[in-house]
Amino acid sequence: MIEKVTKTVDTLNQAAGLKRAENRAKWVSYLFCFPAVSLMFIILLVPIFVAGVLSFTDYSLGNPDLNWLGSKNYEVIFGRSSYQKMIWATVTYVVVVVPISIGLGLGAAMLINSVGRIGELYKTIYFLPVMAALLAMALVWDLALHPTVGIVNQTLRLGCGTWIEGLFSFGWLPWVDGAQSWYSTSCADEFPLWIGDRDYAMPTICFIGIWQAFGFNMVLYLAGLTGVPRELYHAAAIDGVTNTWDQFRLVTWPMLGPTTIFVVTITSINSFKVFDTVEALTWGGPAKSTYVMMYAIFEKAVKENLVGFGSAITIVFLFFVLLITFTQRFLVEKRVHYS
Amino acid sequence: MISNFSATQALKHVTLIIGALIVILPFYAMLSYSMKSPHEIETNTGGFFGDQKPMVDEWCVKANNPSGVLPSEELKQACTKTPIVFNYVSAFTKAPLVRYLLNGVFVTLSIFFIQVLVALPCAYALAKLKFWGRDAVFMLVLFCLLIPVHAIALPLYIMLSKVGLINSYAALIVPWTISVFGIFLMRQFFMTIPDDLIDAARIDGMSEFSIVWKVMLPCAIPALMAFAIFSVVAHWNDYFWPRIAVTSDRNYFTPPLGLRMFKGDSDGDVYGPMMATATIIVTPLIVAFLLAQRKFIEGITLSGMK
Repeated sequence: MIEKVTKTVDTLNQAAGLKRAENRAKWVSYLFCFPAVSLMFIILLVPIFVAGVLSFTDYSLGNPDLNWLGSKNYEVIFGRSSYQKMIWATVTYVVVVVPISIGLGLGAAMLINSVGRIGELYKTIYFLPVMAALLAMALVWDLALHPTVGIVNQTLRLGCGTWIEGLFSFGWLPWVDGAQSWYSTSCADEFPLWIGDRDYAMPTICFIGIWQAFGFNMVLYLAGLTGVPRELYHAAAIDGVTNTWDQFRLVTWPMLGPTTIFVVTITSINSFKVFDTVEALTWGGPAKSTYVMMYAIFEKAVKENLVGFGSAITIVFLFFVLLITFTQRFLVEKRVHYS
Repeated sequence: MISNFSATQALKHVTLIIGALIVILPFYAMLSYSMKSPHEIETNTGGFFGDQKPMVDEWCVKANNPSGVLPSEELKQACTKTPIVFNYVSAFTKAPLVRYLLNGVFVTLSIFFIQVLVALPCAYALAKLKFWGRDAVFMLVLFCLLIPVHAIALPLYIMLSKVGLINSYAALIVPWTISVFGIFLMRQFFMTIPDDLIDAARIDGMSEFSIVWKVMLPCAIPALMAFAIFSVVAHWNDYFWPRIAVTSDRNYFTPPLGLRMFKGDSDGDVYGPMMATATIIVTPLIVAFLLAQRKFIEGITLSGMK
């Protein structure tokens, strides 16, 4: 009897204790959220506001005068040819790198998935560039692509006049004139300067971007592929879908939809942020052909102290990035809800 | 394997191997260049390891021969090294690379610990405590997830220089102290932990503080590990923000900034030490990745959980 009473009292005490704990928790929760919320305001939200305000001025650090310019900064960005080139370069980079790195990522994932256990080895290799500091690898590429010393041009030169030239000039294809091909004309003349040539600089920067990014996309697609149920292929086979391309088009690709939305978003945002390769290799040149937005912000605002103008580029940049993320949210919202 | 062999299978492997060669090429070049003499780099000779023929270190000669007259044979003799030694020793002596590496470790770890310190209590409150305004805080988190910190680097730079923090460890660390993604991730993880566990801890008289650090933290180790990898890789490799935050004072250089200094003087001799530095900077993460691949891939693709 006594035992029973003690037990009941205990339970009651426990319940009361829990109630007290919960009341206490109300206060504690504000305490717990306070650092995070205040940092979110100071580090993430206030700067957007600051950039927004400064973008309408000619503010520069250390200069007490601040003139209100209205929309002049934005007019310059969209009106002057060097900044149109900037937007053009950024968009080109994104439009080239995103589809190719995603295509290669998906292709690599599908191939790796179909070769069995040895695929793990390829996966490891393809993921290496994701781990390595991009700046370091950019400097290596810079040296490898050096017009005279670089390993790339030296190797290409070795192939001149041998069967390799014959193979890569594609003269063996009946409709191609081998002597006019890229490889043969380069052999006869000079191999490109790569980052020093305005026609090759952007493709080269894009190539390094793709080289670095596709392993990341591959891993996301590999994860996506494990989520495609085997039964779907059997079901499709019963419906007469047996050819590989149809399997891909009708089963794999639709099932990878959510992965693709995510991969496109993250690769686009990362591509918009391209900076390391440009800053280390081309300084936006030659002839502004690689003058991307992040580099422009750095050059104008940090190096030349044109903070107001740099802020305007920042706002345009944020607009692009938010546009992409909101599009993604809109597409995803239809399927997923956080609870 | 042999029984599976077919033309398509072979074609797949050929494609994958060509891809792998292109992926590996710069790593191969980096390692190889880091072991070669300037002459071998210029003429692209010596194979992978270089001939390792002893060479005269011109910097060493210059440093020990301030008068500038013709250096003596003994001095040249004393300054003769094999290229691999020359490159790696120069990497550490031409620039304070040890300091840069320690800066990198300090900044990277500080960022991670502060991120956890800020994010964990907030994530716990969002997942397990009921309070007025919780939904608003969570909405704020979801909104802030959309803002890439790199994009607002300029206003952050202005704000930091207004408070005089440019060229300091604080400048390198502060913008990253809040990881909205960390909050989101930990909140999602805490949602899966049963309430009973927390109630039991409360009945035992634990304060909410000790629940966060003694109950929730140990439960969250797997998620935290993944987050640690995500955070450390991102900040060890980051170049953009340090480039802005540290404008002049080399004492606060992180490894990528230190490496960047090698380029600029287009002196051909610098290639070897530059590639040695690059190798030293890249190696720790690559080795860690090779040792714990699964964990790393999980961590890096964490953002896939958004």
